[in-house]
Amino acid sequence: MTEQVRPDLVISGMGSASGGDYGKVRIEGTGKVDGDLSCESIQVSGMAAMGGNMTAGRFELQGKLTGVGSLKANTVDIEGHVNLRGRLQGDDISLTGILKLQGDCEAERFAAHGGFAIQGLLNAGTIDIHLHGRGEAAEIGGETIRVRKPERQSWGGLLRRLIPAFNPRLTTGTIEGDDVHLEATTAGIVRGSHVHIGEGCEIRLVEYRTELIVHPDANVAKRVKI
Amino acid sequence: MDTELISKKDLLELMNISYGQLYRWKRKQLIPEEWFIRKSTFTGQETFFPKAQILSRIGKIIAMKDDLSLDEVAGKLSPLLYDLRLRREEIIERNIVSSLVMDRLGNRADGDGTYSFERMLFLFTADKLLQTGEMNLEEGGQLLQTLQEHFSKFEGKGCDLVFIRKMGVSAFALISASGELYFEGKVKLVARLSMTVCLEELKTKLT
Repeated sequence: MTEQVRPDLVISGMGSASGGDYGKVRIEGTGKVDGDLSCESIQVSGMAAMGGNMTAGRFELQGKLTGVGSLKANTVDIEGHVNLRGRLQGDDISLTGILKLQGDCEAERFAAHGGFAIQGLLNAGTIDIHLHGRGEAAEIGGETIRVRKPERQSWGGLLRRLIPAFNPRLTTGTIEGDDVHLEATTAGIVRGSHVHIGEGCEIRLVEYRTELIVHPDANVAKRVKI
Repeated sequence: MDTELISKKDLLELMNISYGQLYRWKRKQLIPEEWFIRKSTFTGQETFFPKAQILSRIGKIIAMKDDLSLDEVAGKLSPLLYDLRLRREEIIERNIVSSLVMDRLGNRADGDGTYSFERMLFLFTADKLLQTGEMNLEEGGQLLQTLQEHFSKFEGKGCDLVFIRKMGVSAFALISASGELYFEGKVKLVARLSMTVCLEELKTKLT
């Protein structure tokens, strides 16, 4: 097959387009794309509604995106609000804001400042979560998992407007990893080799292999060394 | 038949791997999603795996991962083919391949006396054609050779087996599933079998 030059897609202001193969996709303002989209990069500032699956080398968003499909990209950079019915896959996912997913989230690195609701599995090599709101996932698995609840004052601007001011907390069924550091987390089961349960955690069962450190302000109902 | 299951915890202990590794392999699709079986136990939800398959798959990954990158390992593990191996007696007992065919065609087991899934598929296909009486045993040998040489070239994509005869001389061919094929007048198309269908049939027999 011969290499074809793929056209760019630019929506400025308001507009809609059909999916397909593109070079660069840029949406400024309000845009709607119907059908599956495959391209080198997606850049959105403003609002976008996606009617299919997205595959891109790079995904960058400032604003809000809703989609009925999945998103797959090497680097995913979200500032704002993403709501997808499918799954999110990437090498590097960086989130500042809110992420809502009905499927799984898979990445080599997942760094989040904000809140999220993942109905499936959050699976990443390195998971680094700074909670600025509510975090929810059915399951979390990976190598290094770190959940921190930062000082409230340290974040202003965008986040405070986006996220209602409720108490930041991560809620999940199970967390499984090699290195697990948690703060402000409610979980059924936590399993890992090095487990560090920090301030404000409520864990029903911890199973650990090498070490377990529990903060005095944490509540662990049952601990088992394997 | 129920397949024997192993819990995630027991698996990690048995194979001496960590949660991180298991999740990484899942991300790289080295372990198919269907193998993660959720069941509720007294501690809540637990994940189980089909024991025979996961043990051999993880053994393979561990053996390969030192020399190859994980992406390369993924290429070596065909998602379509099970890692299951059965002994000759089991194959006959479970009615996968008739004993006659095993005697005449299935004499080449691997070193440890077991048959790989792929080999079972070939024998199963041959058995199927023999049962219908469309093919004789000699041609069965020919068929096995064709499959052995060429089936892997499709790399798990669907393909059809075409069996033709002209003036009493038989020939086999493998074509990609959607391929259309037309012959000259004297050629008789004895059978055209979808290997994907055979594979599915075999899978249901195995599970």
